[in-house]
Amino acid sequence: MNLKVESITVKLGSSEILKNVTIEAKKGDFIALLGPNGSGKSTLLRTIFGMLKPLKGVVFFDGKQHEMGYLPQESAETNLKAIEVVLLGRTPYLGRIKIPKERDYEVALKSMKEVGIENLANRKFSELSGGEKQKVLLARLFAQEPKILLLDEPTAHLDISSQLEIMSIIKDLSRERIAIVAMHDINLAISFANRIFMIRDGKVLYTGAPKEVITEDSIKEIFGVEVTVRRQGQVYVIPKIRGSKKGRKVHVICGGGSGRDLIYLLNSQGYSISAGVLNALDSDWETMSEIGGEIVDAPPFSQISDEAYQRNIEIIKQADAVVLTNLSIGKGNFKNLLCAKFASENGKLIVVDKTEFKERNFVGEEANKLYSEILKKSIVVKSEEEVLDALRKLLCR
Amino acid sequence: MRILLLIILNALVFLLSLSVGSSSYGFEELWKLIMGEADETARTIVVDYRLPRVLLAMMVGASLSASGCSLQALFRNPLAEPYVLGIASGASFGAITSIVLGLNITGRLLLAFLSAILTAYLVFFIGNTRKFRDQSYAILLAGIAIASFLSGINSLLIYLHSQSLHQVIFWLMGSFSNPQWEEIYFYIPLLIIGLSFLLATSWNLNALLLGDEHTRAVGINVERYRAELIIFTSLLTASAVAVSGVIGFVGIIIPHTVRITMGEEHRKLLPATILLATAFMPVVDIIARVSTTGEIPVGAITAMLGGPFFLYLLVRKGL
Repeated sequence: MNLKVESITVKLGSSEILKNVTIEAKKGDFIALLGPNGSGKSTLLRTIFGMLKPLKGVVFFDGKQHEMGYLPQESAETNLKAIEVVLLGRTPYLGRIKIPKERDYEVALKSMKEVGIENLANRKFSELSGGEKQKVLLARLFAQEPKILLLDEPTAHLDISSQLEIMSIIKDLSRERIAIVAMHDINLAISFANRIFMIRDGKVLYTGAPKEVITEDSIKEIFGVEVTVRRQGQVYVIPKIRGSKKGRKVHVICGGGSGRDLIYLLNSQGYSISAGVLNALDSDWETMSEIGGEIVDAPPFSQISDEAYQRNIEIIKQADAVVLTNLSIGKGNFKNLLCAKFASENGKLIVVDKTEFKERNFVGEEANKLYSEILKKSIVVKSEEEVLDALRKLLCR
Repeated sequence: MRILLLIILNALVFLLSLSVGSSSYGFEELWKLIMGEADETARTIVVDYRLPRVLLAMMVGASLSASGCSLQALFRNPLAEPYVLGIASGASFGAITSIVLGLNITGRLLLAFLSAILTAYLVFFIGNTRKFRDQSYAILLAGIAIASFLSGINSLLIYLHSQSLHQVIFWLMGSFSNPQWEEIYFYIPLLIIGLSFLLATSWNLNALLLGDEHTRAVGINVERYRAELIIFTSLLTASAVAVSGVIGFVGIIIPHTVRITMGEEHRKLLPATILLATAFMPVVDIIARVSTTGEIPVGAITAMLGGPFFLYLLVRKGL
């Protein structure tokens, strides 16, 4: 049993959704189609199923049309009983006037059993939970006795335990079949698929075993996000930044927790954040590690070295804006004030001046003088929220 | 079991319709009539008047409820009714025109039927354009637009020809009075074709409930089936409206009553809906003709009976 999709191009309206896509699958394959929304995953499945006709290219499958089972992403809602929904999977086997026979009931019940929902047979579909509904739809698919399973995001909108359950069921029941599953959860794909096709803008860019194709670069290319790929036994992916990475660069000079709220706020707004110089294990350092931003760091509880100072200056040069938080200045982090001075001279400093500087100055007159010079050449705000406004103005210039 | 009860109910209602009226005949007299031993007046009243009347009522009930039931599945909308395709206002336009022109019953029947079919075709033609992403929805909206346009024209016609006001209004409200055998001969083939199609494809209606994509996934050609459904429900509804005028509510209330009690499986739902309607419609008609010395429009009674009953069901059983 083989499936071949040879250089198909599919147009919907005036736009090409699939561009010269070629894939192959054989019995036993569990293939994850990975890609962002709108990349063409659904279109590929629908074309293989035969619902869409390719402009160019062919889909070749050495079996009958009804041996292809397709589960659309569209959520269904009906007051039919679960068994009645499952029986619909038998449609291709019924005659012109569709009356299910003994064997159709048997197959339907058997597939409900396989999916583990024989006890739901007489329940109304509309009264089932999300996971149960999806199992009923899977049973409908298996009642069709397909050799190829085409599933469009079968775990969308489900909680984590149902996601794993549904994927395990599909995995178990696809051993003697070909399963092609569109999804966008990378880790779920790695856990279950033996092959992954990564698709973007209608092109299949990577194909292969999860270990081969899942890399920081491929994920960046396909999804446009920064991730860390860990390889401990199994491959898995950790997102680096929750917000969008496309945001403007903002460097935060902070410490001792003075930057925490601001960092979260900027992150939620999609800014790309760096911070420093921070002592490792400082609470702001932990906040930055959590959101995955770049940190210029110094060893715990030590004075900022010239080398760290220089690295900080380099980052400030590249940043679109710099924010000096309401931090306390002591001998250890005095060089941060010099960094702020440098930023203010470049006209990109915003200062959060919440409390009197005198109260947070543990260095002496030298720092007082420096701080007042910095204030003259920067935008001074009183709260973290005002920083956002100041940033907008600053970045517009 | 329930189907059997419904058939018995139908038989009782049928006999009751023949016997009740301005002059009542017991079952004994009906039996005499069948044996050809009854007098001429009884024969005229029962065979020439009451028989076609009860048959028409049953046929109209079957058409409207079966169409409503199917369209509710097609549009996945519990409020869909046989008239969503603009058929009521289309038929009304034809009927009003024929009344204004002073045509006879045959003329009115044909004009109402044709203009209903044309309206439905126009609605389907506009709504089914490839341009729309959700064509079922587009058909619904096109139906509303065209129906309101035609209602406007109808109002204007009525205003300009107020001398035929009473006749027009009575027609609009729906009635089985003055039944003609020609109407039945005209109607029967359409009824048989329409109902046979719906009953034979009721399996597909189940699939439609899950949505277009799922319907395609089980191997049903949605576009083609939607077109066929619209053709056959239009034939049924147009012929019902042409013979009896606009009788509202039957197309919604009967399918829902059955749905609430029997579930949504159309291979059971559709026949039960038809049988309940064929029993319900003649009962309404009995009330229409015996409650006063004259005639009350059937449409008014269906609405007055149907509304409260439906509310009762809703409150008791939930949706």
